[in-house]
Amino acid sequence: MLELKDLYFTVERSEGGGTRNIIDGINFVFQDGKFYAITGPNGSGKTTLAKQIMGINPVSGGAIIFNGTDISAVSISERAKAGIAYSFQQPARFKGITFRDLLSIATGVEDEHKILEIVRRVGICPLSFLDKEVDAKLSGGEIKKIELAITLAVNPKLAIYDEPDTGIDLWTIGPMVNLLKKEMTLREMTTIVVSHNRSFLEAADVILIIDSGKIVYSGDLEGALPLLEDLSVCTYRNTCEGVHDAECFR
Amino acid sequence: MLNALDKSLLRTVADLEEIPKGAYNIRKNGKLLGRQVSANIDIETNEEGTGIIVTIKPGTKNESVHIPVILSQAGLFDVVYNSFIIGDDADVVIVAGCGIHCGTSEPEGHAGIHEFKVGKRAKVTYVEKHYASGEGTGKRTLNPTTKVFLDEGAQAEMELTQIGGVDDTTRVNEAELEVGSLLLITERVMTDGEQSAVSTNNIVLKGAGSRANMISRSVMKGNSRQVLYAAIEARNKSFGHIECDAIIMDNGTNETMPALKAFHPDAELTHEASIGKIASDQLTKLMSLGLEYDQAVNRIIQGFLK
Repeated sequence: MLELKDLYFTVERSEGGGTRNIIDGINFVFQDGKFYAITGPNGSGKTTLAKQIMGINPVSGGAIIFNGTDISAVSISERAKAGIAYSFQQPARFKGITFRDLLSIATGVEDEHKILEIVRRVGICPLSFLDKEVDAKLSGGEIKKIELAITLAVNPKLAIYDEPDTGIDLWTIGPMVNLLKKEMTLREMTTIVVSHNRSFLEAADVILIIDSGKIVYSGDLEGALPLLEDLSVCTYRNTCEGVHDAECFR
Repeated sequence: MLNALDKSLLRTVADLEEIPKGAYNIRKNGKLLGRQVSANIDIETNEEGTGIIVTIKPGTKNESVHIPVILSQAGLFDVVYNSFIIGDDADVVIVAGCGIHCGTSEPEGHAGIHEFKVGKRAKVTYVEKHYASGEGTGKRTLNPTTKVFLDEGAQAEMELTQIGGVDDTTRVNEAELEVGSLLLITERVMTDGEQSAVSTNNIVLKGAGSRANMISRSVMKGNSRQVLYAAIEARNKSFGHIECDAIIMDNGTNETMPALKAFHPDAELTHEASIGKIASDQLTKLMSLGLEYDQAVNRIIQGFLK
């Protein structure tokens, strides 16, 4: 169980002095084995929150409790060892480190048969990816598949995926959603997906809508739809000239 | 014939556990320690007695030559001139390397000038590793020079590595490429403490359709300093690329100067160069897989210099 207690992430304002809360007093409990989709406008704090859970962003106020332990001040490595895994929106690119190397680092497995077994299980990457360097030559879609495979390979208790569909072709999104659900059910994994994609929202047990660093909705998709269609949470609200504007992207 | 120290140095610079199979020439403290020739590979001392000439018969396939040098004698500076004549259509691997063990305060050093003449359509893979160890404070110097002449359609793949422990190094790589030949050079240098390394590379694309790719990977730890000059000159319709990456750790410094010179309208030359610390997104990624900060740094450097 993951509990966010009165959570804040505060930064200095770049202009005019003072501070600004990017995460603004979030309280929420993520139950074990459920699928959560976090959505909301660009800049609302979704990725910031996800990174706070992994320990990449510090906690400015409040607490993060994971399976009964306060992990608010615990390092990224310790959180990983405690069973939290994170798929980055823009995965790091290395020089001289292959998909196989990352799998070995993540799982501690070096045995060829076991590595192949993991790649087959997570299914999303062909075996030919194994010895590919995770460098700038990979396409956006390829690196996202590798990122997702590594996250699943470690059998985390809590898996966080930040926009897993970026760069992924339309034909892969459906199978990707099914894979996440299957692994989640099989391993009673708690899954948190940050996404705007309807496929992930439809797959989720609970949808969280975040706006200006606060949770403005949590519940099922049906209840979320009116809010999602509301201009106030539209991604383009800052530039929007109204629903009758021919430029409306919704 | 080999003591424990020799074996350790050989293992590090030439991946050898014992005396190798096939042709070899092992030089220890400026003297010949052992030599073996094969039916297709001849090794003889040059006229001046300052080095060896390795001659590989045309058409020789899947054979290798090991020519390691080990130094453990205080105050010695060993200089060798080695030539490699690789016959047409041959396909061979040459493993060279120099290991220095410095146990005293006296300096030790080695300069190796290696000249390669690679025949038509022949293919050579050259692996060279440099390493120094020992508790002594004497300065360890290694100055390798390679000169490569690639005949029509020849290919050379050169892996030049300086693993660690060398205080001062001046490296020179020169190459001339004839029609349709291909050169791939990868140089990896890691320096630490007060060490210094200067590498100067000049590749001349003489023949039409010749291609060269130079990759340089540098890591500067401590207060160490590295300077890289990498130039490709195209005198014909040809292709050249330089890729230099340097990672600065601690207070290391780096100067990287790639240079492209086109003296033909159909020359295609490109370069990319970067100097900086380890990217924070790489560290964060590996820590999110459970590595501690220091382990993540080591893993990234290990991959970078692989």
